[in-house]
Amino acid sequence: MEVKIGVFLCDCGGSLKNIDFARVSRNLEELEDIAFVDTSHKLCLEDGRKAIASRILGQNINRVVIAACSPELCEHKFVRLLQELGFSPNLLSVANIREQCSWAHEGDVTAKALELIRMAINRTRLLQPVERTEVPVKKEVLVVGGGFSGMKSALELSRLGIQTTVVEREAVLGGKLWQDEGLYGFEASARKVLSSIREEVKGDENIEVLISAEIAGVEGYAGNFAVKINKGTDEFCRDFGAVIFTTGYKAETLPGYFRLSRGSKIISQQELIEILEAPAKLGRRPEVIGFILDAVDENSRLGSLCALNSALAAKDKLGSEVYVFCRNLKVDSEGAEKLYQVTRDRGVMFLKFEQKPQISVSDGRVKVEAKDILLGEDISVCCDFLVAEEKALPPEGTEGLSSILNVGVDSQGFCQDENVYLYPVDSERKGIFFVGACRGNLDIARVSIDVTSAVMSAYELLAPGRAIVEEGKVNVDGQKCRVCLSCIRACPHRAIRLVRENAEKWTARIYDLACDGCGICAAICPAKAIRFEGYTDEQILAELEAIGEERGGNNKIIAFCCENSAYLAADKAGRMRLHYPDNLRIIRVPCAGRVDIVHVLRAFEKGAAGVLVMGCQEGACQHLTGNIRAKERVNYTQDLLKEAGIDAGRVKVVNLGPDMAQKFVREVREMAEKIKEE
Amino acid sequence: MIIAERKPLEEIRTMIAGYEKILVVGCGTCVTICWAGGEKEVGILSSQLRLASSREGKELSILEGVVERQCEKEMVIEELRDKVQDVEAILSMACGIGVQTVADLFEEKPVFPALNTTFMGMPEGEGVWTEKCGACGDCLLYWTGGICPVVRCAKGLLNGPCGGTRKGGKCEIDPEKDCAWVLIYRRLEKQGRLDLMRRYYQPKNYRAVKRPGRIEAVTA
Repeated sequence: MEVKIGVFLCDCGGSLKNIDFARVSRNLEELEDIAFVDTSHKLCLEDGRKAIASRILGQNINRVVIAACSPELCEHKFVRLLQELGFSPNLLSVANIREQCSWAHEGDVTAKALELIRMAINRTRLLQPVERTEVPVKKEVLVVGGGFSGMKSALELSRLGIQTTVVEREAVLGGKLWQDEGLYGFEASARKVLSSIREEVKGDENIEVLISAEIAGVEGYAGNFAVKINKGTDEFCRDFGAVIFTTGYKAETLPGYFRLSRGSKIISQQELIEILEAPAKLGRRPEVIGFILDAVDENSRLGSLCALNSALAAKDKLGSEVYVFCRNLKVDSEGAEKLYQVTRDRGVMFLKFEQKPQISVSDGRVKVEAKDILLGEDISVCCDFLVAEEKALPPEGTEGLSSILNVGVDSQGFCQDENVYLYPVDSERKGIFFVGACRGNLDIARVSIDVTSAVMSAYELLAPGRAIVEEGKVNVDGQKCRVCLSCIRACPHRAIRLVRENAEKWTARIYDLACDGCGICAAICPAKAIRFEGYTDEQILAELEAIGEERGGNNKIIAFCCENSAYLAADKAGRMRLHYPDNLRIIRVPCAGRVDIVHVLRAFEKGAAGVLVMGCQEGACQHLTGNIRAKERVNYTQDLLKEAGIDAGRVKVVNLGPDMAQKFVREVREMAEKIKEE
Repeated sequence: MIIAERKPLEEIRTMIAGYEKILVVGCGTCVTICWAGGEKEVGILSSQLRLASSREGKELSILEGVVERQCEKEMVIEELRDKVQDVEAILSMACGIGVQTVADLFEEKPVFPALNTTFMGMPEGEGVWTEKCGACGDCLLYWTGGICPVVRCAKGLLNGPCGGTRKGGKCEIDPEKDCAWVLIYRRLEKQGRLDLMRRYYQPKNYRAVKRPGRIEAVTA
């Protein structure tokens, strides 16, 4: 079908005075497949929308180009409008002639505006519609781990009318709640909390509990997970729409610190709690109990705060003298400061050290020697028991779990990559959540917030019973697919699987609901079998074609800008009127990971003098690895350029955040300087 | 799977020097999977060649193509029959087999290899392939628990380690390599087949396959 494009220009209330709209309009009208060029003062307001609507309903156009302010501000409005008019919103391009053109440069920018619109037109010619369809989702949630977080999650889900299954490894629910004493963060005693919450769970119709059961595998994708469960000798498969992991933590005493092996006098928190439960077993009441905190790790809140609780309990129950040796007792959890005060007021003594205390055994007691920095004196205390410092670690089986789930862990081994886009409870895979201690959140006060976040996300995903997806927006051509598994391995959201339908050939298949639209797969595919509608190779290269048509193009800088970071930074630079050279042309990409080596090389072939690939900062890529891949590809491209006798410094990777307008401008100016030197 | 690597650009440019119209053709099988000569790499190489030529003010026009499997005559003819008409030379991005297939079919056109075919290997992870099989024609993997000492032992020993194994089970000759016989021992141990280590494997017939190899399978 013949392409017929309708072009709408917006002069933003007549304020974009450095663009000659009449000239732009005249120039565009001459193009063959342009049906009309309309100029408006406020395209995003009522009149402008009416004008668009009447054109679309009246004229026979099948593509739309809008030249206005940043698509970050206006695109969604036009998408809505087009959907209401029954026009596929995938057939729209927005050229940013305000923040990234009129506001970004001094003097007349008509030539650049024209070029930006031509780039959008070139892309739009090749756009294809994408159907929105419904995918059914299973309205059931699996909660793995029946401790405090797990039971809370199940109860909150039940209140929202969602069926939940709780799978617990042990023979009873409760997790750490069985530790009555010493657990930090509860108003009532942990056991009381445990029995009341267990009653609630037992009585809840929407909750099914499977004890002595474990997860053996999780297949599928958001809305439709197939989970393999092992219970005793049985193995069975159940389907769930979302999975919430609440596998808790493991407390470990740090024996390595003590040059003495952990004997009967140097004990763990757990052992102290056992003593407190049955003090008569000891025979003799311990006169002095010491606690060591912060010697190895200052940041283990849970360890420190549980120790305070235990210290208080020891003082109250045994009446012993209690000493707490600490470096910097961190009390930034809710109620922690108060706990510290209460503990002090009750007579527990705190000694602050800087140097690691010396610990030895003398006369069957544990001697702790340290310099108290407040007194400025060396102190020596002989304890009947010394409670060793503890650290919260990921629970047993976390490594196995992360590989079953195909998700990353953070630097300490807790489930959840340390990526800001995943906070608080998301994993890389849509529909899989990590709540509470298992993701390193060891503050019970904040765990409730985690629970609510995960529950609400799961509810949002599953409550309608179906999800709306753009069908096949990113899809694999089964015939071209070489089954090399590159995309399957590279997808940060694990949205691609190997399938074989109807005994036809094996192929990779992308699951629409799990896909987050980064394009890393499209760039990595060696057979060019993956098509990402809106950002296909052809569409990106078409934008490059439009560059330089006006001016011989030898001094242009092409910047591939990630829409989560650099594109926003560029917009901000415009808003701040930070001016930069007007030979910059920005190509918007969903992620720096979409940028392929051949895009950069073709940019140079089209006459670009410099290329910038701009993405998110380290550890802050929305798609986790996009910026890392972009960097590797650019490094490789530099080698390729060198081989071809071209200065490798003409292509550069830039990492920045969405607010870093100054850095954006600095990098552009630097590249502009560099290419001038030729 | 056949693993290959692209030749340095300089070498490739020397081959095509003097030709102004060439065809760059990739293969959609092994070299696509090992990221050496698939459609993507055809695009990259063509781009590089054009950039290098235009920098030197030289003319170079490139036609790009990919054959699904460049060692199959029918597929090569199907894909290239028309494309070869207008070009002066063909730069093949297939393994050595593909290059020769094209060369045999279009004898009047010079056909050059853009890749070096290196070994038969297996993917170890993203972007990493390692050699596993040496095509000796007399497979002894039964004896060695599925680990090939012909390829993976630096000395090609067949009856146990040389005695020079380094700490950590590394090879005496190449400390980056694991000693194949340590791996073999551990594997056989897991399978309870250590008795095989006591059996003597006779000196290998390295001429089990008459080179160049040829197989005539029974047609059904």
